[in-house]
Amino acid sequence: MDQETVRTICYLARLQIDEDKAQKIENDLETIIEMIGGLQAFNTENIQPLYSPLEKTAFMHEDIENSDNQKEKFLQNAAVSNEDYFLVPRVVE
Amino acid sequence: MAWETVIGIETHVQLSTKTKLFSRASTEFGKSPNTNVNLIDCGLPGVLPSVNKEAFYKAIRFGLAVGAQINQMSIFDRKNYFYADLPKGYQITQMDVPIVLGGTIDIETDKGIKTINITRAHLEEDAGKSIHDQFDGYSAIDLNRAGTPLLEIVSEPEISNAKEAVAYMKAMHQLVTYLDVSDGNMSQGSLRCDANVSVRKIGDPELGTRTEIKNINSFRFVEKAINFEVKRQIKQLENGEVVTQETRLYDSVKDETRPMRSKEFANDYRYFPEPDLLPVVISDKEMQDIKDNFPELAEEKEKRYTKDFGLSEYDAQILASSKIMADFFEQSTKETKNYALLANWLIGEIGAFLNKDAIEINQSKLTPSNLAMLINRIDDQTISGKIGKSIFEEMYASGASPDKIIESQGLQQISDDGEIEKIINSVIQENPDQVTAYLAGKDKLFGFFVGQVMKLTQGKANPQTVNTILKERLKE
Amino acid sequence: MSIQFKTIRELREMLDKKAISSEELTNETHKLAENLKDLNCFVTMNKDASIEKSKIIDQADKADSVLSGIPLAQKDLFCTEGLRTTCSSKILSNFIPPYTATAVKKLESAGSITIGKTNMDEFAMGSSNETSYFGNVHNPWKKGYVPGGSSGGSAAAVAAGIVPAATGTDTGGSIRQPAAHCGITGIKPTYGRVSRWGMIAFASSLDQAGPLARSAEDCAILLNEMSGHDSKDTTSLDIECTDLLDTINQPIKGLKIGIVKEFDLGDLDSEVQNRFEDSKKLYETLGAEFIEISLPNISASVPTYYSIAPAECSSNLSRFDGVRFGHRAENTEDLNDLYIKSRSEGFGDEVKRRILIGTYALSAGYYDAYYKKAQQVRRLIKNDFESAFKSVDLMMTPTSPGTAFAFGSKGAQNPIELYLEDLFTISSNLAGLPAISIPHGKVNSLPAGLQLIGNFLREDQILNAAHIFQKNSEFHLDKPSMEEF
Repeated sequence: MDQETVRTICYLARLQIDEDKAQKIENDLETIIEMIGGLQAFNTENIQPLYSPLEKTAFMHEDIENSDNQKEKFLQNAAVSNEDYFLVPRVVE
Repeated sequence: MAWETVIGIETHVQLSTKTKLFSRASTEFGKSPNTNVNLIDCGLPGVLPSVNKEAFYKAIRFGLAVGAQINQMSIFDRKNYFYADLPKGYQITQMDVPIVLGGTIDIETDKGIKTINITRAHLEEDAGKSIHDQFDGYSAIDLNRAGTPLLEIVSEPEISNAKEAVAYMKAMHQLVTYLDVSDGNMSQGSLRCDANVSVRKIGDPELGTRTEIKNINSFRFVEKAINFEVKRQIKQLENGEVVTQETRLYDSVKDETRPMRSKEFANDYRYFPEPDLLPVVISDKEMQDIKDNFPELAEEKEKRYTKDFGLSEYDAQILASSKIMADFFEQSTKETKNYALLANWLIGEIGAFLNKDAIEINQSKLTPSNLAMLINRIDDQTISGKIGKSIFEEMYASGASPDKIIESQGLQQISDDGEIEKIINSVIQENPDQVTAYLAGKDKLFGFFVGQVMKLTQGKANPQTVNTILKERLKE
Repeated sequence: MSIQFKTIRELREMLDKKAISSEELTNETHKLAENLKDLNCFVTMNKDASIEKSKIIDQADKADSVLSGIPLAQKDLFCTEGLRTTCSSKILSNFIPPYTATAVKKLESAGSITIGKTNMDEFAMGSSNETSYFGNVHNPWKKGYVPGGSSGGSAAAVAAGIVPAATGTDTGGSIRQPAAHCGITGIKPTYGRVSRWGMIAFASSLDQAGPLARSAEDCAILLNEMSGHDSKDTTSLDIECTDLLDTINQPIKGLKIGIVKEFDLGDLDSEVQNRFEDSKKLYETLGAEFIEISLPNISASVPTYYSIAPAECSSNLSRFDGVRFGHRAENTEDLNDLYIKSRSEGFGDEVKRRILIGTYALSAGYYDAYYKKAQQVRRLIKNDFESAFKSVDLMMTPTSPGTAFAFGSKGAQNPIELYLEDLFTISSNLAGLPAISIPHGKVNSLPAGLQLIGNFLREDQILNAAHIFQKNSEFHLDKPSMEEF
């Protein structure tokens, strides 16, 4: 797993690895990827992927409102907010 | 050097369901920030999405109307990326198996009808809104819109210029409002589009590099943005430069497109099937219900208006071209039988007022009942058409009913022969010179006498009666 | 009088006979928890609210349900309204949910009293409860030894006799393996039996909530309440849930139990093998019949799981971005910086590892080879089970290849060492099948667990087989001395 790939994966996941841990994590990732690579040995020709153990379909709900306004509770949980909005560092488009 | 333009449009249509795609929070527009948000929309830990069936029914109606294939079994996928108004860090959308596949939309061009093919249409949830310029140093996040159902409709790259693009968007607008799939309100964000634009030399089989102009939210901007972008690309190519594939925004103030910053880094969305939702299956019975309850589209309405209401084809077409106007018209016909006069007013006088204010009739203070009443009062001669116009202005401004206005301002037309005769007599008496001149042959003065009568009656005299009696009196 | 190590039935009797009031019981439980805090099995105690509830329960003439007034511990993965829920992570160390998970709500509605939230592996990722932001949990049988994970806190709280039962979650073995290492009983239900609403998601297609208790019977009591369709969880099954206690005493003569050919137990510690053989013999005396079955693709379980679970978790954990709740880093330059710093500061190493693996497995160019491939192999594994269940009623394996081990002694060099703890448990999560772990003796003085895997929605059968075993043995009655705590 090259440096470039690790950097890309870290960015996609918005994670940064401390310098002193970087090598160990990279080694761990390589070990794990090698382990899961063992799946290539299994023949899956014409096998449909099983994305959920349930062989059933979605239950859908009616278009009727059923919701409490919990604005205060939600905003309270945020680290930075005012009485109307969640706030983040200003984004420039 | 002759260039041709290739345009593909992705339209995002906000569905007019009462609640969101995956939660039971309201989709009502204009509520104060973060009040149409529940646990699911906020993306709190431990929450799970649940599917709104009405969103599917609306998507299917659209698909049927454009002659598309409906995938009765469709699947939701996750599109993973980070942005402040995307609470879960992923959007639930449909990637591999969308609800609608194929279909066509016809547009009117100056060369006749052109058919644009649709690639696909799928359901996905809308993101929240970020406000970047209200709080110093911060962007504010409002999640009211997060989770609203969107139908993303992708056209084949078959549109050839900005005008066709506008025609396409207008046709889309008419279709989705007619189908009661969306309120199509572009200023509120119910209908927006991304335009993929590229140019190539005529005859070149290869497509040029395309740019994507995102989130255009008015027909005018569609035209301007595309025109600017086409010019920009041609200029670059003529200078020997290369067009960069990128995402751009249209700045309506500067009338230009510019690259979008947040899309600088290519994103890998890592799509995979949404494990919290299972495949959605629409039953044959549900499909039949949708087909049985299909709303009437514009062409059918036109035919019905000419047949049932005796309107001219021209009038019928204009009224039927907007569902909002058509609905208003039909509501009014419940209370008045003078359909021709009603149509005239809607297309003429009222249309002018609405255009000036750039609003739809259902955003004005007029009601079908009040309009019907106005038509009836003109029809039964309580007021003249001319007085009707000033009453209408009052109705438009205040929303008051015609009867109330007539009452409070005493505007009833004077039709009583006796009364009018009295007034005519006094006009004749007080203007002997004009009478003499008229009788000597100055026919134009007839208008003067009518004018005087109207002045004395504050315009309320019944014009036909005035004409008849005046002619008689003057003869004598 | 001592309430330590009492079962639900025993406490029910004490309460019904008014030998103890609910308030007294609740207070005693809190005292026990306090005295044994070195175990580190609780993250947050629910003292005031639990005592309030116990007073209300005492006011009623008689209990209207078997769980009325019974103290339970809830794994800190379940959202509990007004009560801090952390998933043992720094990123949620100050999170107070505005709602309660359905599974917990059902237990509380049945009258149980939530004593506190138990420690766990961070975001349920781990098999030893060594990745918690709040520190390791000790195995009540031996200080300095792991209780197993990720439901280590719940298992320790039950094993130490503080509460008669607790909730856990199981994605790859996180209920069963700690139950085995702590000498208690734990069951993972069929996928979809218990609602996942309010259960903070790790791997959506694998996670299931379930009980840990001192016996199969007590597990059945809890599972009865926890089960049932929830319209808020599209993946919850809409089925008639029968009372799991109805058939729990049925004799098991003629029960066909499968031994998986491909699980070569010859590689395991001889004592582990001996325990397994002893249990086999016990079942034979009780009338069960053993049949060898084949699950040809079973060796793919671990790589399949470690492709799917990290992939799903990498997406599920994206919502922890510091914006609307949880830890937010200070002094950030822009939005991306906010994300990167908040997440990097907030998540531990194992969580980061799994998110990175998952991101990799889903990324363009690798999706087909890893994630999609794994889901295809998953179907092969499920098909294997379906075939095998044509000739047997349930299957039996050791729960874990080994027993509890000393802190830091596994996985430090090679993470796969710890992943292999789940060798026998993972496949039932992949196939969505129910499985239970019961204690069946000691290996080197530490508890060892026996696993029974049942067919789809046949919790009744594995609970029955487990209960009959427990009626005819005393392993589940063993208690740790607790001298070290």
